Amino acid sequence: MYNYLEYGSSGDSRGVVEDQEKYDQFMARIEAGEKIEADDWMPEDYRQGLIKLISMHGISEIMGALPEKEWTPKAPTLKRKLGIMAKVQDEMGHGQLLLRVAEDLMKPYGKDRGDIIEDMLSGDLKFHNVFHMPTKTWADAGMVGWLVDGAAIISQTNMLDASYGPYQRALQRICQEEVFHAQHGEAIIMALAEGTDYQREILQESLNRWWPSLLMFFGPASAETTGSSKQDIMIKYKIRKSSNEELRQAFLDKYLPRVFSLDLTVPDETVHYDEEKEQWVYQQPDWNEFKQIIKNKGPRSKERLRLREIAYENNRWVRQALAADKVGS
Amino acid sequence: MTEVLTAEEAKKDAAYLTALKELIYQLADDDFLISFRGSEWLGLAPHIEEDVAFSSITQNTMGHAFMFYQLLEDLGEGEIDMLAHERHPSVRRNGIYLEKKNGEGNYLEEPYYDWALTVVRNFLYETFKKVKLEAITKSSYKPLANIAGKVLMEQPYHLAHWKIWMKQLLNSTEEARERIEARLNEAWEEFGDVLEYGTQATEIEHFGLIIGEDELKERWINEVSKTIENLPSTPIGKKYGSGREGEHTEDLDQALNTLSEVYMSDKEAIW
Amino acid sequence: MGTSQESNFYQEYEVFSKKSVKAPIQHQFSLLAPNEEMALSMAVENFMRREDVLDVWVVKSSNVRRMTSEERSNWTKRLDNKDYRRTKGYGYLRQKWKEKEQGMLDEKEILSWKEVKKK
Repeated sequence: MYNYLEYGSSGDSRGVVEDQEKYDQFMARIEAGEKIEADDWMPEDYRQGLIKLISMHGISEIMGALPEKEWTPKAPTLKRKLGIMAKVQDEMGHGQLLLRVAEDLMKPYGKDRGDIIEDMLSGDLKFHNVFHMPTKTWADAGMVGWLVDGAAIISQTNMLDASYGPYQRALQRICQEEVFHAQHGEAIIMALAEGTDYQREILQESLNRWWPSLLMFFGPASAETTGSSKQDIMIKYKIRKSSNEELRQAFLDKYLPRVFSLDLTVPDETVHYDEEKEQWVYQQPDWNEFKQIIKNKGPRSKERLRLREIAYENNRWVRQALAADKVGS
Repeated sequence: MTEVLTAEEAKKDAAYLTALKELIYQLADDDFLISFRGSEWLGLAPHIEEDVAFSSITQNTMGHAFMFYQLLEDLGEGEIDMLAHERHPSVRRNGIYLEKKNGEGNYLEEPYYDWALTVVRNFLYETFKKVKLEAITKSSYKPLANIAGKVLMEQPYHLAHWKIWMKQLLNSTEEARERIEARLNEAWEEFGDVLEYGTQATEIEHFGLIIGEDELKERWINEVSKTIENLPSTPIGKKYGSGREGEHTEDLDQALNTLSEVYMSDKEAIW
Repeated sequence: MGTSQESNFYQEYEVFSKKSVKAPIQHQFSLLAPNEEMALSMAVENFMRREDVLDVWVVKSSNVRRMTSEERSNWTKRLDNKDYRRTKGYGYLRQKWKEKEQGMLDEKEILSWKEVKKK
């Protein structure tokens, strides 16, 4: 879902076709709707693109668990505590599915889970912009579940026919669980929207804060905006179908009418639907800020990475203990 | 002992009701506090797959707390979320060892949580929960006996999970064994009140709500020693007093402040 | 590899499960665990949180001899000339039996023979 970012040092292998005959066969297969498996031949830029996309997607799920997790022990009722725990657990579970897919793709390079985690901690592997943002109130827990997950659902369902089999199967599982997430988020939001003045106040305040991040979620419309975009190659290889802007429009289509129906506003007076062009008009978020955020210079980037780092380092003895040969089978 | 079939029936005998409520508060608060500590771990476990599995156990356990609070609500103690979120520390009945923080720091900042504590605590607690609930399936209060039977349907997985962790860490590296043993010794100094019933102990046994404290303790030790060969040789202590009598540590204050922060922010609100 | 001391921790297991007594065992996904006891203990909650499960298998991925990419593309294609293996090849019997005023013993009929008359 997060394929508009570039990072790391994979080099640009586009245009370097290793074996024209294999390449043609490969393209014929994906054109015919066949699925590529981990041990099938694939062009290097397909493998590299997938590793980046899927490891970033996976890490974003793992990092994405943290903002909501901040409110998990604090959730206001037992049922909300249980619901948000199950939801955050799913995020970790999605991370598990995706990292397994990425790990298999990385095997030819001799890399494993440990390398992915270490690349994340060193900053080589980025995570999604929204998960660098603070969650200041309980309403943010609802906002993440409702609109951030809503945006995630839009981009993930767009890849449900992805040409890479293992990713496609993981997404199938993920999207099924997202249905629960969407309703979990809506339930929190609905209670706040129909609640006391205080509840409505924190809800509107939360939406105001999250609005730019939600627009940024889908990435810039074109490569010129931030200087890089992977969207074209992912479309060529039939991983995703739609462009960043098409996805953003789909999100606005689905969610803005719901936002307004709850008597909420967005902090952009110019937002409206242009009937003629059949698209939403909105003010661009600050894409320079976006670039800073995904470089781990967002408001909560350092703190969230620090949590991960402590969890990873502090539990190293456990992994070392059970890695010892004598344990288990 | 005559069976008591409904809450209404239980309410007719003041002495019975007092003893019954006491026992259920202990069950509810134990499960609630240990599952709260579990919820703080979410996302921070040694391994992603374990994080997911652990969270299911935590959710199940909080679900059990919910059922016990429900029994209290039925007995006229007030609404479930009030019972979980609003009660003062001095009326909380969980064992003190169960409120203990997961380690240094807190879940939002510098969480130097200790997996050895978590493995030891959950293993000891789930073993305890198994023997206690098995005894409660024969309780004179039928609604409680029924809940105990239900909880015992999914609880064996919890115990099996923590047994595996216990056994494997004890049989792995020197470092892991030392960490586990240190936490076991610590538990031995603190677990005492978990095994007790507090001021109503005599009545709780007398009314046939559960077997006596001594027998429970014996069954627990017996069960624990099936997994751990060399148990600490010291007697089991109550280093910080008895949670069953409302004595608690600052760790409980931290837990309650956290878990009720949103609940208390607007008491008129429906969340 | 990640820190070598820890790499052994990340062993790969395939997870299979069975949903009901009549269902066949089905592949779910794979997970990383240090050994099979741990793998089994984590399998259900990782992949079957919302579905029924009656049985679970975990198999170390390296112990599964699976087809290679080449074998998949070379061994799994067949000519469509094997009607003799299927009832389809004997469809003409229906008409024959009909002429003799008998019914066809087709799949539906034969699988309905679970119960026979008690003597």
